[in-house]
Amino acid sequence: MTGEPGAAVAAAGASLRWRVLLALSLAAMLPTVVVGALAIMRARDDVAREVNRGAQAHIRALGAVLDGTLQDAWRTVDLAAALWADAPLDTRATQRLLRRLKAAVTIVHTLSILDPDGAVRFGDPVPARFDIGSHSFGGYVGDIEDLDGRPVVYLVVQARGRTGELMGALVASLDLEFVRRRISETQVEPGARVLVVDGTGTVVAASDDHAPSGPARGRSLAGVDPAVDAALGSTVEGTLAADGWVSTYRNLSGYQSRRGVRWAILHQQPERDAYALARETTLDTLIIGGAALAIALALGGFFATRLTRPLAALARHADAIAAGSTDDPPPVRGPGEIGLLGERIDEMARRIAERAALQAALARGDRLASVGVMSAQVAHEINNPLTTVLGYAMLLQEGKPPGHPDREALELIASEAERMKSIVGGLLEYARAHRKTARDLAASSATATGGCDPAAVLRHVAALLEPQLRRTRAALAIDVTATAPIAIEAHALQQVLVNLGQNAAQAMAEAKIEGGTIVIAARPAPGGVATLITVTDEGPGVPPPDRARVFDPFFTTKDAGVGTGLGLAVCKHLVATAGGSIEVGDGPGGRGAEFRVVIPNAR
Amino acid sequence: MLAPLPSHASTLRVRGALALAVAVAAACHRPAERPAMRFLHTFGNEETSLLNEVTAERGIAVDAAVVPFARGRQVIAEMLRAATDCPDLIRIDATWLPELVAGDLLAEPPRALAARDWTPEAAALAQLRSVWWGVPQAVDGLLVVRDVATPPPASPSLADLVAAARAVQTQGRRYPLNLRVDGYWFVPWLRDEGGELAAPGGLAGDAAIRAMTRFAALFGDVAPPPPPAGLEEDNEGRRWLNHEIAYWITGPWQFYQLGDRTRIAVSPLAHAPRGGQLLVVPRCAKHADDGWRLADELTSLPVAARFAARFATAPTRLAALAEAPGLSRDSYDALRGAVMLPREPATPLLFDDLNAALTAVVTGDARPDEAAAGVARAWQRLTPRVAP
Repeated sequence: MTGEPGAAVAAAGASLRWRVLLALSLAAMLPTVVVGALAIMRARDDVAREVNRGAQAHIRALGAVLDGTLQDAWRTVDLAAALWADAPLDTRATQRLLRRLKAAVTIVHTLSILDPDGAVRFGDPVPARFDIGSHSFGGYVGDIEDLDGRPVVYLVVQARGRTGELMGALVASLDLEFVRRRISETQVEPGARVLVVDGTGTVVAASDDHAPSGPARGRSLAGVDPAVDAALGSTVEGTLAADGWVSTYRNLSGYQSRRGVRWAILHQQPERDAYALARETTLDTLIIGGAALAIALALGGFFATRLTRPLAALARHADAIAAGSTDDPPPVRGPGEIGLLGERIDEMARRIAERAALQAALARGDRLASVGVMSAQVAHEINNPLTTVLGYAMLLQEGKPPGHPDREALELIASEAERMKSIVGGLLEYARAHRKTARDLAASSATATGGCDPAAVLRHVAALLEPQLRRTRAALAIDVTATAPIAIEAHALQQVLVNLGQNAAQAMAEAKIEGGTIVIAARPAPGGVATLITVTDEGPGVPPPDRARVFDPFFTTKDAGVGTGLGLAVCKHLVATAGGSIEVGDGPGGRGAEFRVVIPNAR
Repeated sequence: MLAPLPSHASTLRVRGALALAVAVAAACHRPAERPAMRFLHTFGNEETSLLNEVTAERGIAVDAAVVPFARGRQVIAEMLRAATDCPDLIRIDATWLPELVAGDLLAEPPRALAARDWTPEAAALAQLRSVWWGVPQAVDGLLVVRDVATPPPASPSLADLVAAARAVQTQGRRYPLNLRVDGYWFVPWLRDEGGELAAPGGLAGDAAIRAMTRFAALFGDVAPPPPPAGLEEDNEGRRWLNHEIAYWITGPWQFYQLGDRTRIAVSPLAHAPRGGQLLVVPRCAKHADDGWRLADELTSLPVAARFAARFATAPTRLAALAEAPGLSRDSYDALRGAVMLPREPATPLLFDDLNAALTAVVTGDARPDEAAAGVARAWQRLTPRVAP
């Protein structure tokens, strides 16, 4: 692994936080955007539909009024034409008919009767170019024209007699000023306008006729206003949004000429006004959506941080485990599965630590076993020559009288040889203890099933220690309140206690403490399943830094040549083999040392 | 050709995208301009809607305007004579062609257009004295529409048609034959008696009188009395839906309004008039080439297929006809025996007087001889007026 684990954890935590934030943001944003877009589109569609519907209703009503006025005029003139055709030669009746017709149809501006060749026989003059209706299915309404500054249409109705023969035609110019009045009176939305254009796109009437920006009457909008083009290119009605205007149009010219003049009516409104409601809705939706999004992002950030913080802690924890840290980090708390994951990681760390300790112990055990085997071999090989050396040294002494110059040297050889035998003996003892196999342990366990009497062992130990204690002027006190047999071989317990007692005596002696007391006590351990045996002295005690190491083989605080450093290691092994424990601490009142041996009671 | 290096390709792509973006932006910001090409037509409501759909879908920029059919001949002729505000393409009724040609108002189409796979009937429609003057857009005429459950007449003859109508006449179906009091519908009876519109003698002869007599006798007998003017279509539609009509003399233009087309069968009608619609380019057109291109587009196979599918009309090109619905092909077959009206300038003008005369006879206001004489007098006035 490269880089700093902490930085990597921080980067990973940040990445995860951003990812979670991104996921939450998307989860919030997508519905917001989709719903918002749908709402905006829906609002616009609804508003557009309503605007168009309203405008269409408006122009339909206006168109019906305008067209209806022309149709009424047509029917009246048609009836008059039929009446006249039956008696075309009666001049007075004809003139009376024309007068009544003008009075009845108020929009009639001029009225004439033409003969089949197009010549005026009665009434007002007409333009010479008049077609009296060939191939017009009985007559027609012409295009809008300007007559003395007024928009007019010519209505041509064939007058046919009883046999259907053409007798002439009634030609009436209809004043479209009523269209202008009607259009100018119409109520439209602010900014909106209603137009009536003829078949060439020329404006006949406009509701904003007097507005400076309004379309000038008489001006052609064909090719200028796409809505006018659309209206003239259609046969019915429609809607067009172009150039910032929403236009609804209706072509009033039908398939048959009798339906009316070639014209179209349009309702136009600036798009910003027409769709103002939609725009407001859009704005509201955007604001609400944006606010919802911001809240969602803030909440997302909060939850992302809250979610990733324990994960980051877990990551740090895992990194520490991977780095082999023995520090016990605080437990990771988190909601739901994260808390569960923290607990699992803690459990995993604990097990890893146990396994590591076990592996270390095993490794140390193997190492010690190897040392033991080697020591046994070495001790075995050395022991015989040493015995020989010692024997010869003692033999040579016997031949030397006191004061002999060689005697002192021989005594030194003998004492050193004795000391070497002692060391070798310790090594052999340590090796023997570690060579115990499972079968040995089972056997000793079986032996221990009956257990040993701690009181008897302590009394025997006191007897064994008596000589050494006398030499060091130390006292020994035995205090036994435990009566239950304990699961350890008596010999092993005896070896342990003798070792501890000797160590205590040596410690007080080295500290020049005379008259100190060594107390060996046995009492029931809390819980009643084991017996606690303590060995306390009044010596200098074991410094805390050494307490964890005093049970390691070859660890010693004694002067060189005084101790082998194997005694406490053997004690620990024997106690552990019996299923007990041994530890060292301060003596009562913080003075001296206290070794605490816990041995399970025998079953 | 070697592929450009990646860096060059990227550069090209970027430049291409920029150019496209600029072009799109320019196109988007270009102010709306009126299309240069102008199309004046006489389509009805539904046809106009389909025309607008087709031009929009095919990206054809055209300024289309409608002129009511009934005023079309007059408006168009005046417009072309004035040569102001001249459209680039016009849809006209075939009966208007002689007058416009006589007035030297039309341009001849490119040879390539004339060489398309037109049906013989369509080709004949677009020509006048073997000279092409336009592109045939639709062929129509009179035929007999009947309910598929009704047996066809024994033959196309008028006598067999009337006999077939009488055979299915019942109390509930008092008037099984449907036809209009209209000069166009009168033509088969006139021809059956040996007459013809504007033939020498006009309607003054015995043939016209006999034809009027036979024609008028149908109304109130096997055909219903004529409804008030302007209500013909509504009346006919209602009667068809109520199964009151067994035999209906009408044209393909009616199919669109008949609803269930599986009910419809068609039969030929003896002496029926045949006509149609043409796309012509006036001499005064400013964009004649564009006009012809639009005419070609509107008669192309995809567009013809759309019109045939929507209206069941017979396409004018053989390839389109082969792909057309069965009803379109049936009506084409039924019209093959029909005969065009006299191709004279006065022909479209004759109907105003003839219609009125027929109405007078059918309603009993006039005797056939009186009505025929009146029509003859009117036609004598009209014929020299439109003579070239």
